[in-house]
Parts: sequence; C-alpha cells; structure tokens
Amino acid sequence: MTAATIRDRAVRRRALDQSDRGIASHSDWRRPGVWLGMSTVHLILLILLILWGVGPLLWLLKSAVTPTQDTLQTPLAVFPHGWDWSNVATAWNTVGIGVQFLNTIWVAVGSWFVQLLVATTAGYALAVLRPKYAPIFNGLVLATLFVPGVVLLVPLYLTVLHPPLIGHSLIDTFWAVWLPAGANAFNILLVTRFFNNLPREIFEAARTDGAGPFRLFWSIVLPMSRPILGVVSVFAIINAWKDYLWPRLVLTNPAVQPLSVRLPNIQSQTDLGVFLAALAISMIIPIVLFLVFQRLFLRSAGLGGAVKG
Amino acid sequence: MTTSSAAVRVSRTRRRTPLTWIRGGGPANLLFLLPMIVIFGVFSWGPIVESVVMSVQHTNFVTAPTFVGFDNFLALFRDPLVPIAVRNTAYFALLALIFGYPIPLIVAVLMSEVRRARGLFSALAYLPVVVPPVVSVLLWQRFYDASPRGLFNTVLSWVGIGPQPWIQSAATSMPSVVLVATWAAAGSTVIIYLAALTSVPPELYDAAEVDGAGLWGKIWHVTLPQLRPVLLITFILQIIGTAQVFLEPFLLTFGGPANSTLTILQLIFRYAFQNSIGLDYGKATALSILLALFLALFSVVYFRLTKAWSTN
Amino acid sequence: MKSPRTAAAVLAVTAIAGAGLLTGCSASGDSGNTNGTVAITIASLVPGSSADAFKAFNLRVKEFEKANPKVIVKPVEYQWTGPTFSAQLAAGTLPTVFNVPFTDSQSLANAGQLADITSDVKKLPYANKFNKSLLQVAENDKGDLFGIPYGPYAYGLSYNRALFTKAGLDPNKPPTSWDEVRSDAKTISDKLGIAGFMVFTSGNTGGWGLTEQTYSRGGRMEVTEGGKTTVTADNDQTVAALKFLQTMRWTDNSLGSNFNLDWSGMNQYFGSGQTAMYPSGSDVLTALVQSDGVDPKDYGLGLIPTEGDNSGVLSGGNVAVVSAAASPAEKAAAVKWIDFYYMQKLLDKSAAVADAKSLISNKQPVGVPQLPIFDKAQLDTSLGWIDSYINVPKENVAPFQNGIFDQKIIAEPAKHTQELYAALDSVVQAVLTDKNADIDALLKGVNTQIQALIDADAK
Repeated sequence: MTAATIRDRAVRRRALDQSDRGIASHSDWRRPGVWLGMSTVHLILLILLILWGVGPLLWLLKSAVTPTQDTLQTPLAVFPHGWDWSNVATAWNTVGIGVQFLNTIWVAVGSWFVQLLVATTAGYALAVLRPKYAPIFNGLVLATLFVPGVVLLVPLYLTVLHPPLIGHSLIDTFWAVWLPAGANAFNILLVTRFFNNLPREIFEAARTDGAGPFRLFWSIVLPMSRPILGVVSVFAIINAWKDYLWPRLVLTNPAVQPLSVRLPNIQSQTDLGVFLAALAISMIIPIVLFLVFQRLFLRSAGLGGAVKG
Repeated sequence: MTTSSAAVRVSRTRRRTPLTWIRGGGPANLLFLLPMIVIFGVFSWGPIVESVVMSVQHTNFVTAPTFVGFDNFLALFRDPLVPIAVRNTAYFALLALIFGYPIPLIVAVLMSEVRRARGLFSALAYLPVVVPPVVSVLLWQRFYDASPRGLFNTVLSWVGIGPQPWIQSAATSMPSVVLVATWAAAGSTVIIYLAALTSVPPELYDAAEVDGAGLWGKIWHVTLPQLRPVLLITFILQIIGTAQVFLEPFLLTFGGPANSTLTILQLIFRYAFQNSIGLDYGKATALSILLALFLALFSVVYFRLTKAWSTN
Repeated sequence: MKSPRTAAAVLAVTAIAGAGLLTGCSASGDSGNTNGTVAITIASLVPGSSADAFKAFNLRVKEFEKANPKVIVKPVEYQWTGPTFSAQLAAGTLPTVFNVPFTDSQSLANAGQLADITSDVKKLPYANKFNKSLLQVAENDKGDLFGIPYGPYAYGLSYNRALFTKAGLDPNKPPTSWDEVRSDAKTISDKLGIAGFMVFTSGNTGGWGLTEQTYSRGGRMEVTEGGKTTVTADNDQTVAALKFLQTMRWTDNSLGSNFNLDWSGMNQYFGSGQTAMYPSGSDVLTALVQSDGVDPKDYGLGLIPTEGDNSGVLSGGNVAVVSAAASPAEKAAAVKWIDFYYMQKLLDKSAAVADAKSLISNKQPVGVPQLPIFDKAQLDTSLGWIDSYINVPKENVAPFQNGIFDQKIIAEPAKHTQELYAALDSVVQAVLTDKNADIDALLKGVNTQIQALIDADAK
C-alpha cells in the first residue's frame, strides 16, 4: 500500500461521506442496530422484489417448455415429466407467431421514426429557430397534453378510415399506426426543453460561420441531442411494443397485426401450452432490450418524475 | 447594447414584406414546423374538434350525419350501464390509489437507502413495466384460475386458505384486476420516486441531524416536503390514467362477471365498436367528452387546492 | 355550433364516405376488374382454424377458379362479430362474400348495407326450391333477396363420449330430461373433478343459450301481438332455467369454476376436456375439429331435453351475403361462388363428392348434422351421395339426427336480438357467480332495458 493509495482512499471516503448518504447518515449506519435492521429489511425487500418482478416471468418461461397437461394439473410443479420444446416450435411455426413478431418490429420501427422526425423538427423550430408565432404552436401542442386520449379514439378512427387527400382508408396498413404515433405532445415537450437548454452561443457561432438552418439542425443540434433522442426513442419503442387498443382497431388483417393484437384473438383456438409459449416469445425482446439498455430505461423513467408539470 | 437596440428600432420601423420574411428564414421555419403541423393537425387537433362535433350528431354510414342536439347526452343518462361504469371506474381508481401510491413510496424510500447494487433493485422493480400489458394480463389470467388446482389457489392452500373465485365473482373481480394493473405499473412509480429521493440535497439531512432529528423526524421534515412536487404530480397523473383504464379489465374479464369490471372506457368502446348493427359514435364521443370535462375540472380544482398547500 | 371549417370537414367526410361506398373505393376490398376478369374476396374460415382446414378450403377455391376462369378468388379469414362488421363496413374492407347470422341479416338488408342479389339468384335453377320460411331471414321488408341462407342448425346437447364412459355412464344414452342432465352432470363432476355440464356465458352467447333453455321449457323471450312486441324475459320458464343453473352451481357444484366463456372459449373448454356436456348449435363439430382438436369419435350429439307445452328447439343459421359495395359483375361472380361452395354439395352428386373428398383429405369431419335448406328429401339424397365418405360415426350423432325432425323448431327473438342477448349475459353471469343473485329483479331489468329500445324504434 503506497502513500498515494492511502491518500486516494481517504479522499474517496470523504467524498463518499459527504455526498453518498440518504436519510440515514453515516453515523447512523455505524450503529449495529441500524445496520442490522436495515440490512434485514433490504434482504426481505430483495426477496419480495424477486418474487414480484421475476417470479411470474420465470413461471411463464417454465410453462412455455412444459407439456400442457402438466401446466393444467400442477402449475407449480417444475418439469414433473421433463420438458418439451414442441410448444415453442408449434407456436412459431404452426400458429405462425413469427409473422406477428415481425409486424411488431415494423410497427415499433416506423412509430419510432415518425416520432423522432416530428419531435426533433418541431423542437428545433420552436426552441432554436423561434419564429414569432412559435408560442401559438407551443400552446396548441401543450393543450393536447391535457386532453385525455379517450376523446380521440372515435374521430381518429374515422380520420384513418377517410384521411384527407389520400383516396382510400389506411386501415390494415402500418401507416394507420405510424402516423398518429407522431402526435405525441410529451415528446415535443421533452425535446423543446432540451433544445432550450442548449448553449445558444454555439448556434450564433455556427450562424456567423455561414451555416443555414438545415446545416445547423443536421450537423450541430442533432449530434448534441443524443441524450434526449435516447430518451424519446426508449419511450417510443416501448410504447409501440405495448400498444393494444389502437392497433386492434386499425389492424384487422392477421398478416399485419402485431403480437399484442393477435395473441388475444387466437387464445380460444390455441392449446394452452402453445399459447403460453407464444406469450413467452412476445416478452423476450422487450426484456432483452431492457436488460441491455437498463441505465437508459431507468434514467428515462426517472426523468418523468423530475419534470415538474 | 446600442447596436442591438438600434437594430430593434430599425426592424420595428422597417416594413415587413414577403421578402423580409423569406430573408429572415421564414420558409425554413415553416418547413421545420411542417411535420408537426400536419401530424398534429390531422391526428390530434382535428379529431379533438371532430369529437365535440360528433357528440351532437347521429352517425351511420349510409346517410349523412344529422344534428341531434343533446340527444346523445340524454341517452347516456338513460342508459343503465353508465352509472355502473362510472362506479366501477371510481372503484378501480380508488383501489389503484391505495395499492399503487403509498406502497411504491415505501419501497422507494427503502431502496434509496441501499448501499450497493441499487441497480439490481431498480431493475427488479421495473421489469414488469417492460412486459407488454397483453402478455401480463393473459399470464395473470392463468394465475387466477379459480379451480382448486389454479396457481394462486394452490399457493393459498399451502397456508391453509381455501380456493378463491378471483375473477369469477363480482365481489373479487375488481380487486383482481387492480392487482394485475398494479403489478404492471407500480415499478415505474417506484423509479420516479427513487429519482426524486436521490436528488434530495444531503445537506438538508445533515442540517436536520444537527437539529436533533431522528430517523422518522428526518423523513417527516426533510424527505416528504422535498418530495411534495413529485407526490402531487404522480397523484393527479395516476387519477387521470386510472380513469381511462381499458386493457386490463377488457382482456381479463371483458367487463364481467355481470358488468362488475365494466369501466367507462370499455363502455365507450362498446358504443363505438361493438354495437351489432348501428355504430353509436354519438354516444361514444359524448361519453368521452363528459369524462374529459370531468378530468379537466378535477385537475383545475386539484391544482388550486395544492397551490394552497405548496405555499405553506 | 358548427364553424364553417367544421361543417366543411363534415361535408367532406360524408362525401368521401358516400363516394367510397358507392364506387367501392377501398384498400383491400373488391379490387379492380381487368380484361373481363372479375376479382372477388371471400370469407374463408374463422381465424385460428387449423392449417388442414385452410388446405381443404383452398382446394375448393382452386376447383371453382378452374370452372370459372374469368373469376379470381381471394380468401380472407373472417369471423362474424358485430364490431368487425361495422368497422369493415365503414372502412370499405368487407370481403365481397361474407356471412352474417340469421339474427342480423334482415336488419342489415333493411339498412341497405348488403347488396340486392334478387336477380342474380333468380337465375339459379333451384331458386324456387328453397324452404320459404328459411329464405325470409335473407329478405328485406319488401321481399328483395339479399343473401342465401346456409348451414341452418338447431340447438343440441354436445357431449364427450369418452368422459361419459370414464365416469361410468353409457355414451349411447345421453340425458333426455333436465333432471337427467343434472344427475349425469353431478356423477361426472364428482368422479372426474371437471364441470359435468356448462353453458355459454359471455359475448352475447349467454343470452343465446338462456333463450334456448327457455324455449326448451315452453317459454318465450319476446311476444309479438298485433304489430307490438313485448319483452317477456321474466317469464316462468326463464326463471326455472336460471334456478336450475343456480342449483347445479351452488348445490351440486357440477358447473366447474370458469364462468367467463364465449363461443370459442366454451368450445375450447369442451375440447380440452374441462366440461363433459354443453348445449350448442348442432353444427359445432366442424369448429371443434378445426380449432380445438376434437376427435369426432369422442363426440356425441343428443337432443336438448324439451318439457312442457309450446316447448321447442332454438334454431339459427348463417346467410351468405354480398357487400353493398360490389359492382354488378362482382355480384354475379359472388353469387356464382356462393352457389358453388355453399349450395352445390346439396344439389349435385359430383359437387357433393368433391366437397367430401377435399374435407377427408385434410382430416376434416364429413357428416356433421345438418338441417335442410330445401326439404328433408333433398337433404337425405345429398347425404346418400357422400355416405361412403362420412367419417363422423353415425351412432354418435344419431340421438340428435333421428329426433330433431319431430321437434318444434323456433326462430330466435326478432327484435334487438343482440342487445337482448347481451343484457341476458349479465343475468347468467350473475346467477353463476353470486350466490344471492336476485333472478326476478335481474330479469325485470332486462325487460325494461330492451323494451325501451323496441319502443324507441316505433317512434
């Protein structure tokens, strides 16, 4: 142990002391009663969280590879008669879940793109370019935040049936889901705020260098907005993957339906084990995405709380 | 400073012509706003206006819509399912508030004290939130099998409790629905609270300790007041969200048994999309507007009241 | 109240909607006609049917296209539900040929939402041979024809022969009275731990089933006298039917523990062996084989017990109809398809054999019980042609097939049928999930609710 190491450790501990504390202070923690009590509580909490968060999902994974009769008779037994991959194979091949799986990806990618397009261009115009009439649009967009989604359901459906300018309905096309997804005021709010907080000197500097508005957007603003684009993307993809009511209304042809719409439709015609396998397949991608991008997810979710109204 | 004020004076006196607009970057502004204007116009602002219009019309697809005044609203008041749906929705909101508001707070407070591996706790809490709701609901439908062999009933039998009807009885159906909905959503509330808790300035706790506050004192005098904005916002957001619940009762029980889990949004869906022959878009939009007005009123009253609290 | 902009928008929507309906301008509905060929989309099978069932259907499609080279046929999965129909009508994405149940065909015809095919059907050689009362369901008030009825069914008692044997009951002797139903159900549920008997409860099928149980005891849900219809849901027979269910549920515990079953859910419940008996349409075996993996050898169909004066059996069926957006050429092609797929197997020996062969080669049931569209003689003749192909054991369905022609066949209630059924769904669910359900109050509530709808029509 060199002197440098000891010094580093002391510095770090002091920094820790000063900033890394919650309700209980460091002196609180040193008392054995508090330490023991808190640790026990935390252990119990951990076990409960595992049961709560992971338990049901583990059961689903187990049942996906268990013969149906076992799941019906003894749902909590673990492989009483061995496991059986045929449910998964049937779900993918015979029931054809693969088609809807791809559709879900298409829906998510398209919605993500439309949302990003609308949010970045609108945010840029409102927060960076700031034309004189910007406050009007700002207000109009914010106002929609206060309108509950339910109000839109019926007229939006009719709009998709008979869109202006286009000759025929958008029903059973992905556009019926992609386009309305872009009308997301929350995204615009997030992006506008972020752009508002960008240092304007950089814009002035770029302008004096001769950058026009498009150049400014593409080469300066967008690269600087990676954090907020990440947040918007996470929300967009997760919301698209989870969406049920709207896709159910506008995507009636199984060939274009995403998983969330198809699964309830085939429940009554599908053997239980195969159905559970299909459910398991549907949850794999969101969970994998979450585990890989955990920090981004959790930071975005927490952001929702830090935004005060 | 003088140059800019001179410039302002100049621009104020200079005539605004189309040319100055173009030179000032007008077309670019409009171009960037175009996606938002088109998308919002067609898929948000337009439908909102149309919703109000349709609520005073009778629509079918054979003839043009006709103006019917307040008939749709009156029909709502005569429909026996409307008070049932309102009562059920209020019941759901209340139960969801009881389970989904204080418990995540307690969990978040405990989690904020975790020294190591807080990420693990967060991930575990948030995991159910990323599972698609359709999967969650259909999965829990299996758990709720009311036969003695059903999963939950088997667990209950280990502790000596008899099999419960879960979603097969009007008395227990709504709590069962709330349980699923809470499982799927509580995690995000926990994370929001956690983020707020970890941003409480530690000096405040230090100061409270100097004043002699114990553990509970610190929570009461520092944590909760610091959390007040977040608590207030999540409360109203939760009310607005639960008032519009659709998916969980729709897929789990389809509004049954005997309409005990029929919510307002399900009723709107039924009016608009499940009438056998005639679509009742008028009643559907009328009910959705009533709900929207109620929520707007509630929010206004809420913000007035809580503003009074905030200034204390 | 309307601003000029909104009025213009409403006008525009209406104009487009009207134009869309008239000219059939739609995304995936009837596509264009080129070089004298006509393209039509047709309803094939319900979603979730087995791959084999689809193969059998597609075989028939190919045969039709060979015989009619100027017609291109595109099958789409289709299941009649109120919402699907309304939405597709609005979107203009209805298949050219699809089916609607008897309960809805007349209202749709009267509302102008189906194509008038009177002249096309008149060209068919057997146009006068239809059972006249059956044809009425496909006509509007003026007598114009809007569809061709097919697949009429009556209610029967579907039961699982294997489970009967396992419980020690004789599979050739299904129960013939409601008391026997009750005791058989109790035997089965006590011995096997499953639902001995179960009824539909949701998706409007609860009311449908309850209506059948009312008819079987001699009651009626709606009574029409002198042009005025009165809802009589609180009649003694319905009360008796509900009390019967109540006893089986709460005293005998022979109804199992899942009370949220619509048509396909109940079929699955039966197909997976969780109930041994349930009242169903007599044609349900096809769906059971196609969607729920039932083996015809284990399937039995008996008669619904009928007791009391005026008792009878609920009947229904489907009508093959043509979308109102079809052009005259598409209508003619559509009627040709309906004739080929739904009718020919009853009238022409080679067509019947071809149909049976395609079903057999794809492991579908042949010999599912039917009621006559023309008359009993024609039905017997057509069954004779395919006798060697029948793979549903005759003795399994003999109790129904032999006894049904002696039964009084009663049509479904005529006014606001689906709303009546929906309201009755809640009553059935309440009785099965709440020990203290007040049957009289619930039924009186249904009376009030549906009577209000009927009276509003008259204004």
